[in-house]
Amino acid sequence: MSETGIKKNSQNFGILWQRYGTFGILFLLLVVLAIAQPGAIFNSSAVPQMLKQSAVNILLACGEFFAILIAGIDLSVGAVCGLSGMVAAELMVSAHMPWVPACIIGVLCGTFFGFLNGLLVNRTGLHPFIITLGTQSIFFGVMLVVSHSANIYGFPASFSSMINASLFDFFPISAIIALLVAVVLWFFTTKTKAGRNTYALGGNKEAAWYSGINVPLHTLIVFIISGTCAGIAGIVLMGRLNCADPVAGTGYDTYAIAAAIIGGTSFMGGKGKIPGVVIGGFIIGIINYGMTALMIDSSYQKIMMGALIIISVAIDHFVSVSTNEK
Amino acid sequence: MEPLIKMVGITKVFPGVKALNNISLDIMPGEVHILLGENGAGKSTLMKILSGVYQPTLGKIIIGGKEYKSLTTKDSYDEGVAIIYQELSVINELSILENLFVGKLPTVKKCGISVVDYKTMEEKAAAMLQKVGVHRPLKTFVEDLTMPEKQQVEIAKALVSDAKIIIMDEPTTSLTTAETDNLFALIRKLKSENKGIVYISHKMDEIKKIGDRVTVLKDGTYVGTRRVDEVTVDELVTMMVGREIKGTYFGNPDVDLTKQPILFEAKNITRSDGRCRNISFQLHKGEILGFAGLVGAGRTETMEAIFGAHPKIKGQVFLNGRELHITSPYSAIKQGLGMVTENRRETGIIDNFNVKQNISMVPYLKQSSAGGIGGFLDGRQEVRWAEEQKANLHIKCTGINQMVVDLSGGNQQKVILGKWLAANTEVIIFDEPTKGIDIGSKSEIYQLMRKLANEGKGVLMISSELTELLSVCDRIAVFREGEIRMIFNSAEASEEKIVKTSTGEY
Ligand SMILES: Nc1ncnc2c1ncn2[C@@H]1O[C@H](COP(=O)(O)OP(=O)(O)OP(=O)(O)O)[C@@H](O)[C@H]1O
Ligand SMILES: [Mg+2]
Repeated sequence: MSETGIKKNSQNFGILWQRYGTFGILFLLLVVLAIAQPGAIFNSSAVPQMLKQSAVNILLACGEFFAILIAGIDLSVGAVCGLSGMVAAELMVSAHMPWVPACIIGVLCGTFFGFLNGLLVNRTGLHPFIITLGTQSIFFGVMLVVSHSANIYGFPASFSSMINASLFDFFPISAIIALLVAVVLWFFTTKTKAGRNTYALGGNKEAAWYSGINVPLHTLIVFIISGTCAGIAGIVLMGRLNCADPVAGTGYDTYAIAAAIIGGTSFMGGKGKIPGVVIGGFIIGIINYGMTALMIDSSYQKIMMGALIIISVAIDHFVSVSTNEK
Repeated sequence: MEPLIKMVGITKVFPGVKALNNISLDIMPGEVHILLGENGAGKSTLMKILSGVYQPTLGKIIIGGKEYKSLTTKDSYDEGVAIIYQELSVINELSILENLFVGKLPTVKKCGISVVDYKTMEEKAAAMLQKVGVHRPLKTFVEDLTMPEKQQVEIAKALVSDAKIIIMDEPTTSLTTAETDNLFALIRKLKSENKGIVYISHKMDEIKKIGDRVTVLKDGTYVGTRRVDEVTVDELVTMMVGREIKGTYFGNPDVDLTKQPILFEAKNITRSDGRCRNISFQLHKGEILGFAGLVGAGRTETMEAIFGAHPKIKGQVFLNGRELHITSPYSAIKQGLGMVTENRRETGIIDNFNVKQNISMVPYLKQSSAGGIGGFLDGRQEVRWAEEQKANLHIKCTGINQMVVDLSGGNQQKVILGKWLAANTEVIIFDEPTKGIDIGSKSEIYQLMRKLANEGKGVLMISSELTELLSVCDRIAVFREGEIRMIFNSAEASEEKIVKTSTGEY
């Protein structure tokens, strides 16, 4: 085959990958799982289980998506997730607060931590990588202080049964919450001016500023969204585990970034869509579910997840290089 | 004599457009070969094929006796081709020195190990900067340079590698006469060294000054090649546009517009960084006010300050007698001000947006609430804005959904004009508005500016092209070293007076 022929093919692959890559991975995973362990897929509790496992990832990934969209990153979503859950847990268990206000305060804590991230990014002018690397450690430390490094459990029964319930015995409430959040954010990105402006920020901050977009304000909003999503994820995670575990949130930063990238968000900023990110989060959930079903040790899950991040970013890079070289 | 390069039967197809159709071109040693054509004619595409950025769909390229079906950027560099890109390729985060040698650091062997040869680098760089006329320390970061200086660094970058063939894609869009003369002196020297030069420009007077042969493209097809001394500019214009362009005066000298009420006024604008001091001017209804000056005289800096992009200023701004309080470009837009910025790639286009999204950005913001974050998108309205401007400015694209980075340079410029026009802005500051725009569209844009002024909108215009200022503006303010030194009426203004004022001889 001639050289230009190869180029053509790699270009076509590029276009296919950009359009259907995320679906391809999802499909591949399901096929692999169906062959390796048919029982894990062809059974009535499989889908609800997968959804349950995915809810937290979807929530975190949706927040992370915005941070990456503006060519930044949020490394603190895992810590915020843990801390918000912990705050809500303390309020319910130690302060005997009813679960609804406790959870709302927990989520608002997430909002506040996101606000702090955004404020620091704006005030210092440093890259979000540095800021959120720092706050990740700070938030984690604060959580250890709040919880005295111990698990907190004994939530009101009404809370546990609510968050672990399923609609029609099929759709877990946690997954419904995640999807509702995703729908709201999808609306935000596709139908509001603020959403459109956020994409502009990811494309070219300088030009965005000269065109009248309030860059600091939008940066702040992005981190507030990310923090809020992490806060909601914190409540959902705590409910699923039925306890607030100080280390529960660790590792979720990586998953969130992985889900956003696998879901088609470009690290260069300015490109990506919420539905893709939701599927990205779902993929992470399925990997977790599948590994558990195949009784693979969770350490291998980490290895697999890391490899998947590198592979999908590498393909993405290769694709954008080949489609640009016209 | 053998040509340095022969391009034969080059065809290039992009999705939805045939950018080039069977084009042939040869470049002789010691010649300046001008490439001429309207916006979107295919000039940059042809040159990017030569520099290895694009691969041709059909055709071949013969360099130094070797025949290529297509070139990679490395092939091209190894064959001695250097290019000055239309959209500058300098990197803001690097110093001038590093920019000049990106990807081709000279090395010396020390104890058997190749290390970067900083000494040679610095010597070569200093000499080259001297030649192109950049007076800045080598370690200066490029982001601290003005737009014209960046363009000069881009030129230096192409020349420093000692190439045999140098492609210059609109190298003088930001330069004023003095810097352009500098470049032309350099080009003459290269010619005498038997190098081949391809020169693209929409400034027609440059053709006669520097060109030997000229090849005209139209809509991706070859029109013809002529010797420059055997053809008139008018003939060339007819070849490229297919009709005659009336290059006339667009003002109305009989009316004294300064008797009209004042529309816009700036009083004692001073920037805290000292780039402009005590700038005051008045714009009357119906008037177009121009700003001339050398590179670095502070015209752009003043306008950016007024527009709120660099909000640390002292002074006052009035629109229709009411004082404006501008703290950011957003607040400027809300109060009726707009600014077409001079650096298309950095402050103009949003590259992940299509034509429609780029154009609708400003009108959306103008109508938005809550600091620009309130409000919803309106798909139909967006299409209307974009289609209107596409027709108004004759933007050449496959449709308003085409990505803006896939448009030719001049058409990207039109998109930027479009976004301010779509917002129905009261006062527009045009900073090099016709940068990269072909001669036919230029006169259309001048007419458009005149129409805006007649409709009672404010038009302020910065330009490095004196002929342009003289033919469009009613009055011209001349900057020197951060201050306005003189304001001429169109009747009394002349190139000579303006140049003398801007250099301080007057
Ligand atoms: N990467 C691309 N993808 C799709 N179309 C492209 C791409 N690059 C250029 N084109 C199209 O090819 C045509 C020629 O563009 P080109 O940039 O060569 O024009 P040009 O002669 O340099 O014009 P200008 O004077 O405005 O710089 C245009 O119609 C443009 O839209
Ligand atoms: Mg061009």
